[in-house]
Amino acid sequence: MSDTTDHSGLPRENLPEDELLAAEYALGVLAGADREAAARRVARDQAFARMVTAWEERLTPWAAEIDEVAPPPQVWDAIAASLPQPRGSLWQSLTFWRTFALASALASACLAVVIYLGAAGQGEPLIAAIEGGGTRSFVATVDARHATVAVVPAAFAADATRIPELWLIPPGGKPLSLGVVRADKAVVIAIPPALIAQTANGATLAVSLEPPGGSPTGAPTGPVIGAGKLTNL
Amino acid sequence: MDLEANRSLIASALARIPTGDRTALQTVYRLTSAKLFGVALRILGERGEAEDVLQEVYVTVWRKAADFDAGRASPMTWLIAIARNKAIDRLRASRHSRRAEPIEAAADLADDAPGAESALASAQDHAKLYGCLGELAAREQATLRGAFFDGNTYEDLAERMKVPLGTMKSWIRRAMIKLKACLER
Repeated sequence: MSDTTDHSGLPRENLPEDELLAAEYALGVLAGADREAAARRVARDQAFARMVTAWEERLTPWAAEIDEVAPPPQVWDAIAASLPQPRGSLWQSLTFWRTFALASALASACLAVVIYLGAAGQGEPLIAAIEGGGTRSFVATVDARHATVAVVPAAFAADATRIPELWLIPPGGKPLSLGVVRADKAVVIAIPPALIAQTANGATLAVSLEPPGGSPTGAPTGPVIGAGKLTNL
Repeated sequence: MDLEANRSLIASALARIPTGDRTALQTVYRLTSAKLFGVALRILGERGEAEDVLQEVYVTVWRKAADFDAGRASPMTWLIAIARNKAIDRLRASRHSRRAEPIEAAADLADDAPGAESALASAQDHAKLYGCLGELAAREQATLRGAFFDGNTYEDLAERMKVPLGTMKSWIRRAMIKLKACLER
């Protein structure tokens, strides 16, 4: 192959035109209409695409010379935010959650007023803001008259694999499950009759993350993401 | 990280992306984004532009992961090609021969021996490519480098090397023919 060093004597026919075009595209020297035409051809012509890939494979070891540079964290955030939302998943976009948290806060305020007016003279309505790590994740309102607790998500970002579970912790007592709640909408839970007396001023409500279906042991098994004391409105 | 282990981690994460597995995309990102950012930054020369391109690259990876064929290309080849193409497209759209400075063929040449930093190709592939590049004439090496690393077009390279466009085209085509013949020896 010593004749390959002879610049003038190398026949063009050494490689077919397609192969040369693939090389030019992989190297990146084409511009304008030529580059666009080659890109379209990669998309529809498998044989041509394979030639381009083979050239990329030949040239890639060269990229070892290029230093790695850590990108700033907001690049990943932007990528994650721009992915389409998986159907049926609680994993929603940041925009969704911001909007939702605002709507929830308004809804819980309205609900509180309704409960307060409805419960006037019927026992005190109790409310707990469930907070942790500087974030209010849920707002819970106890309707003593109907023995229910309404739990509204505020700024709770759903976890793909775990669900939030609500716990009642009487003063000095152990957590008692009130049931699972939802990250995507308000739920109203009927308080079990045995727990009604303990769902009182000064008791704590807490939310932990549990496997789907709730804690398998009857006690919190996952991280507690927030807690708040029940107080009179 | 060990090259083979790294390659199979990236390949298996790429294979999970078409099922809608976001953590798989995040794994690919964690393992490869610094390299791809370096590639984009080298071509574009500006961080903001390179960040935009990096975002486009991984959104493309998310959409096109099903097209990746482990039998045809290594995962890094596939990813670097996407990053180079996105960066080159952006460069073509935005600039007017940003890198028009003349190439001093001798100064711009790779005397970089295959270094320890070759996590994306086996030392053997790397050494082979460098051996074959070394067989090219100095001006051929310099033009290929300008195209590969800086995203130069034929026109840019002709201007930088102060030769007619037709001459530049035949230099590059000949260089690529020789390179392929050498790599296949």
